[in-house]
Amino acid sequence: MKNQLKPPENGYQSRMRTSTKRLCRWHGWWAAATLLMAFGPGFLWHRALVPTLVAVGLDVAMGVGMILATKKYVEELDELQRRIFLNALGIAVGVGLIVGVPWTVMDAYHVIHSHGLHANFGLLVILQGLTFLVSLLYGTWRYR
Amino acid sequence: MKNRLKVLRAERDWTQAQLAEALDVSRQTINAIETGKFDPSLPLAFRAARLFGLPIEEIFHDQDPAPL
Repeated sequence: MKNQLKPPENGYQSRMRTSTKRLCRWHGWWAAATLLMAFGPGFLWHRALVPTLVAVGLDVAMGVGMILATKKYVEELDELQRRIFLNALGIAVGVGLIVGVPWTVMDAYHVIHSHGLHANFGLLVILQGLTFLVSLLYGTWRYR
Repeated sequence: MKNRLKVLRAERDWTQAQLAEALDVSRQTINAIETGKFDPSLPLAFRAARLFGLPIEEIFHDQDPAPL
């Protein structure tokens, strides 16, 4: 019982390629704006206030664009991919909270100062990113 | 939930990728449904039923016996 399937004009794979490229572009622009905001005041405009504020505004604008691109990306995922993505996101947010809150409290009460472990937002973001990546890979492997 | 997706697909000589495109999902999703690792949503189950031209209960069925 052979039956030819006609692939749709703008199928899932094609839409996801477009969506993934858009997501990468926005992440790239946001990363570039963050670099400009972080290093511009020191290396490009010698801590002048106006360019610094412009760089902060640009970073926030790129950040909003990145959030909207991520939202659209998640909406375009199919139901299994969305489950894997949201599970990974939930785990990453949870790990960020359960590590970040005690870490901040211990820093505030000077519990960890003697060991040179100050609360560091950058490290927390890296931890969340790595947790998200590992969870995403695990989810993909689990439903392979 | 058990399903006959793999059998129905094989009868029509379709690949997982072809079925995935026709149902507007990823190939991984088709594989996960066929191997019983993932239960599809009702809209996706209806799309599959429409594609195969069969009632939904002839493709998907509950594993647990009906309660008395």
